[in-house]
Amino acid sequence: MTLRVLLVEDNRELRATLKAALSVEGYELLTAASLSEGLALAQHAQRPGAGIDLALLDLGLPDGDGETLLAELCRRRGCPVLVISAREAEGQKVRLLDAGADDFLVKPFGIAELLARMRVALRHRGTVLRPAVTHWRAGNLAVDIAAHLVQRDDTAVHLTPTEFKLLARLVRNNGQVVTHRQLLADVWGAEFTEHTHYLRLYMGQLRAKLEADPAEPHLLLTEPGVGYRLVEGDEP
Amino acid sequence: MNTPMHTGWDRLLAAGIWAIAWLAMTLLDARVDLANLAMILVLAAALSSLWLAAWASLMASVAAVLAFNWMFVPPRGTFLVDLRQHALLLGAMLLVNTIVTGLVARLRASARQAFAQAARAEQLRNWGERLRDEADPAVHLGALRELLQAAAGVPAAVIVLPPPAATRPPGSAAPELPLGALTAGEVDADQAAGLRLCLREGRALGRDTGRYEDQPDLYLPLRGRQACFGAAVLCGIGEVGLARRDAELRAQLQALCDQMGQALQRAQAAAAERAARELAQQQGVRNALLAAISHDYRTPLATILGAASALEEQADRLDPAQRRRLAHGIVEEAGRLSRLTDNTLQLARLDAPGVTLRCDWESAEELVGAALRHARRREAGQRVRARLEPGLPLLWCDAMLVSQLLDNLVDNALKYSPQDAPVEVLVRCAGSGQLLLAVRDRGPGIAPAWRDRVFEVFHRGALPQEAPLARAGEADMGRPGAGIGLAVCRAIAHAHGGELRLRARSHGGCAFECVLPLRTPPEMPTEEQVPPEQEGAT
Repeated sequence: MTLRVLLVEDNRELRATLKAALSVEGYELLTAASLSEGLALAQHAQRPGAGIDLALLDLGLPDGDGETLLAELCRRRGCPVLVISAREAEGQKVRLLDAGADDFLVKPFGIAELLARMRVALRHRGTVLRPAVTHWRAGNLAVDIAAHLVQRDDTAVHLTPTEFKLLARLVRNNGQVVTHRQLLADVWGAEFTEHTHYLRLYMGQLRAKLEADPAEPHLLLTEPGVGYRLVEGDEP
Repeated sequence: MNTPMHTGWDRLLAAGIWAIAWLAMTLLDARVDLANLAMILVLAAALSSLWLAAWASLMASVAAVLAFNWMFVPPRGTFLVDLRQHALLLGAMLLVNTIVTGLVARLRASARQAFAQAARAEQLRNWGERLRDEADPAVHLGALRELLQAAAGVPAAVIVLPPPAATRPPGSAAPELPLGALTAGEVDADQAAGLRLCLREGRALGRDTGRYEDQPDLYLPLRGRQACFGAAVLCGIGEVGLARRDAELRAQLQALCDQMGQALQRAQAAAAERAARELAQQQGVRNALLAAISHDYRTPLATILGAASALEEQADRLDPAQRRRLAHGIVEEAGRLSRLTDNTLQLARLDAPGVTLRCDWESAEELVGAALRHARRREAGQRVRARLEPGLPLLWCDAMLVSQLLDNLVDNALKYSPQDAPVEVLVRCAGSGQLLLAVRDRGPGIAPAWRDRVFEVFHRGALPQEAPLARAGEADMGRPGAGIGLAVCRAIAHAHGGELRLRARSHGGCAFECVLPLRTPPEMPTEEQVPPEQEGAT
């Protein structure tokens, strides 16, 4: 079945371009030029068989900052939301990610990047309902959350409990950005959300243990000012 | 110093002279003849007139001639004169005394006048000196008031309009209450109204001015050229007997006031000129920036437009490989445009006053890692190497900005060094609480004269003919290729309280070195502090 994508974008050219590009990839596109229009489409799509599988939400729309639409789509329907932001909308982007948006793209972006993000987001779709990701493998590194096992070149790597919790949190959303705030809240607790320096320390330790060259990470990627991203696991 | 006023001492001196003369005449009476005695009297009269007022001098000499007649002219003891020649002598003495007294009095009057004029001129000159280079002459308001008081001998008050309103020409409607006007001295409601009127009309009013003659006070405007900048009031000057000196004094007071007015006007003109120059400079900077930016934008836009229009017009005549190449060109150049836009926006943002950074504790390793990842996306980026000192402290900075700085520096190094030469990103502690982020290349380097100017975005427009970057292999050598990227880098370094420098490397190439200040590091978690190596051993 074709996947339905809601695109909320006020620029007509970009809307048309993305619609064409995504249609070629087999997606069915619903487009909205404003938040209110997007909200109307989202509510209309409640009917069975007409649900939305993924939303692309542009920030800086004329009629608001997208919080309401995000709440409608993501919290109530578990529909993944990708935030498309301009470089200036830094703070807003992080706020929406903290509030539950799945990932972000900074304008301008290539179509390949968009498709990769969409693919990851769709794969994670419904994780709230389905069992969480427990296995992850990329190249020579494998993680088994349930067995508490991390293997590099088939040799067990010893991680401290906090390191493991941090890695597990990233594995759960592998391929997606996880904001500083989300990581801190989930690994250390809600009262530590401002302690970004904890992350710097433990990410450094994780990279030292897991990356071939910690100075140039290929697995545990940094999204400056936003959070961290564990690369998408290899297809099983 | 000779004072023009007649003091008790002057009179005493004159009396002394007369007494000495009289004594001398008495002593010489028997030895010399009458004519010689008379000479002594004439001499005494001339000398004493130097210290006595004209009328007193005249009276004294008349009295002396009479007394002389009584004492020395025979028959003595009477006012009678025996001989005709003695009568002539007495008459001549009286006449000479009168003439001498008159001459001396006139001489003294003119000397007094000259002295007063010199004093006034001196006062004006000193006042002028004091006001000459004052950026805000209004600070001398109190001094003007004191000068006026000293000159006129009555209390004075001065008001000065605040700068913007002061430029109104006289006669135009001034506000009823000059809001924000500076005042020195106390005035009552009447005087305040008088000051306002004087200020509005730019003309003196009060006694002997032909306007509002019945006023007890004298109002003087502080006049500049074709504008009035304030007013002064001399309270009760009409009641003080200044009689004949009034006209001169008023001219002097007006001159003092006008000097203030002119100084205020000069200061205002200077301020206006400065503002205009700043505006022009800003305009110039903006124009240069726009010129530089639009030049930078044109190149990728030309490529994009060329490739896109080729795809549009000739799509069916191009083979797939050609089409792909054109599309690739569009993607590449659009990426360049995007970076350019980021830099331009960032520069504008950092230029604005009160820019806020979104600082957090950042790891230099991660920032360099992100920069490497960005560089690797392009083919040229494969020759970038990173060298980080182990155990680097965390950096309190805006991650987006420092990432942008590193991206720009790496970009720049890749662009201006040979295809096979390595580009190195180096991070180490620079002592005294600083962290050094350096991007070093093995390109041809930059001519010393341009080492500072490469950071200035505007020089491209200003010096189109020079080749600032002695970079080989540049298609258009006639312009600095740095564009605004380095200007943004420096702005980012400055925004963090750091510095960005360019250093020539000893074996060729250049190093852009960014020094950022380090803060006291935050407290780290204690739960499982054990470093991984030791932990593995347990």
